[in-house]
Amino acid sequence: MEPIILAIILVCIIIGGMLGSLGVHLLPVGGAPAAMATATGIATGCVMLMTGSAVTGLFTASTVAAFWESNPSVLLVSLSGGVGAMLMMGFTMLIANLIYIFGAGVVPVSGRAAVDPITKESQTEYKTPRTDGHGVPNVCFYSGMIGGLAGGFGGALIYVVLESDVYANFPVAIAAVVALGIFIANAIMAAYNIGGTIEGFHDPKFKERIVTGLTCAFVISLMCGIIVVIAIETGVLEAVGGVL
Amino acid sequence: MTVTPAVEEEEKKEEEEKPKEKFEFSFDYFNESRLGLFALIVGAIIAVASFFPPLPAFVKGIGAMLVIVWGADSVRKTARYGLGTGVPSIGVLAVGFGLAGAITGMAIGSEIYHYFGIIGILGILAGVAFMAVVGYVSGVLANNEKFIGMKIPGLERGMAELAMAGTLAITLESSIVAGTWYSAAIMSPIKGYDVTPAAFFAVIFILSGFGMLQPYNSCLGADERRGRTLLMAIEIGGINCIILGAVATMSLGAVQGVPLIVLGAIVWVVYYRAYMKACMAEAYGTPGTGLIKTLGG
Repeated sequence: MEPIILAIILVCIIIGGMLGSLGVHLLPVGGAPAAMATATGIATGCVMLMTGSAVTGLFTASTVAAFWESNPSVLLVSLSGGVGAMLMMGFTMLIANLIYIFGAGVVPVSGRAAVDPITKESQTEYKTPRTDGHGVPNVCFYSGMIGGLAGGFGGALIYVVLESDVYANFPVAIAAVVALGIFIANAIMAAYNIGGTIEGFHDPKFKERIVTGLTCAFVISLMCGIIVVIAIETGVLEAVGGVL
Repeated sequence: MTVTPAVEEEEKKEEEEKPKEKFEFSFDYFNESRLGLFALIVGAIIAVASFFPPLPAFVKGIGAMLVIVWGADSVRKTARYGLGTGVPSIGVLAVGFGLAGAITGMAIGSEIYHYFGIIGILGILAGVAFMAVVGYVSGVLANNEKFIGMKIPGLERGMAELAMAGTLAITLESSIVAGTWYSAAIMSPIKGYDVTPAAFFAVIFILSGFGMLQPYNSCLGADERRGRTLLMAIEIGGINCIILGAVATMSLGAVQGVPLIVLGAIVWVVYYRAYMKACMAEAYGTPGTGLIKTLGG
């Protein structure tokens, strides 16, 4: 295969991995405290949230990619992956909020910002003392949607360069599986970087840790990318026409 | 109050039987290094031999179980210091690396086989070696003060081991489904069905991941013991064999699939029993609901 195409694939894998890492940093992750409504965010770990939304993104991306007989549009397929992941994150946050508000009876309020940076609503007086916020307030919802878009776009970008017959020309199943593997490795390193809970881009933790997170994502995506490029270069994994 | 007599009865039975109980299942000889080395060598040999379709699936099943036990041991080694994101994350990381490694290994092995003949099947180990490097580097990134700074002793080694175990597990389990890890067989449709063995990668991903992450995730706590945790890893390996045996019966025929199902069923029953016995023997108290009464005491 031509070196320029291999370089494009490598760059796309690195960009995809870094976007995935960025997406994880933007999600409102509450962890165990959020299950008791004593922290802002959804009551689960980064990995579960991001894997769930990225897999939904891969589904939408592969569905959209199937409309082209050859040479699918990289941008459109990646964007459709981003939209799928955004939808998944949106539904998750909406349903979590319904349960928090009408089930647990708490007001969605941010614990890390005194004033919502987007809607300018005051937060502090609604926060229960000795807790770290509740539910998914507006700013976290926006942040989560942006995170879903970034993560889904990244995952689908890796998928489409591996699946497209202009680039790596893998069979659909193998392209999806390799994209998932690289994405998960990056998402988990980002989760270790966050170390528990995060609210979104307004969280002080985000500014503190994002550079480290993106550096780690760069190194890991680069190494995984080189390995995948070696696998592409052997040429034995090329699709022989059939799908799945 | 129908429960009370049963509970009392069970307690009485337990008290009677307690003195003669001396059930102890330990992995004393197979300490962490020996188990890792043994699983790596045996797993690598079976992975290389898996290239040949006549190799019975239950041999690959044994290899997969061994590798899963190794992975579970590495998860235990790293996750006991507290990861901050839950034990499952590191098990999923292992198989996530494993997916990329296994597919690269298959590609390299098949390509060298095309050019240099039978010696090329050793190329499958290239994926394992690459992933050891990637795992080590990500361990350094996670542990180093300048980067994430998790400060977990031995995280570098643990992640390298996990990446290798994940790669071997996925290679072995996918060769159970396809009969071999040869890339053309992995990607050509199973006869009579419109799916390729590659489509089963997602199932294999979570099956082997479950074998690695679940034992420590469910056993962790103050009284966690290595022998007991690893019993569960073997047991989940048995369940994996049953599921993959069903798939292999569909894809390759009963000659390959049925022995694997039988092996998986035997392993599952034996080790589930052993695990429950160990739990009941080592627990402070076990009020029973009657659901697993036959195993009690």
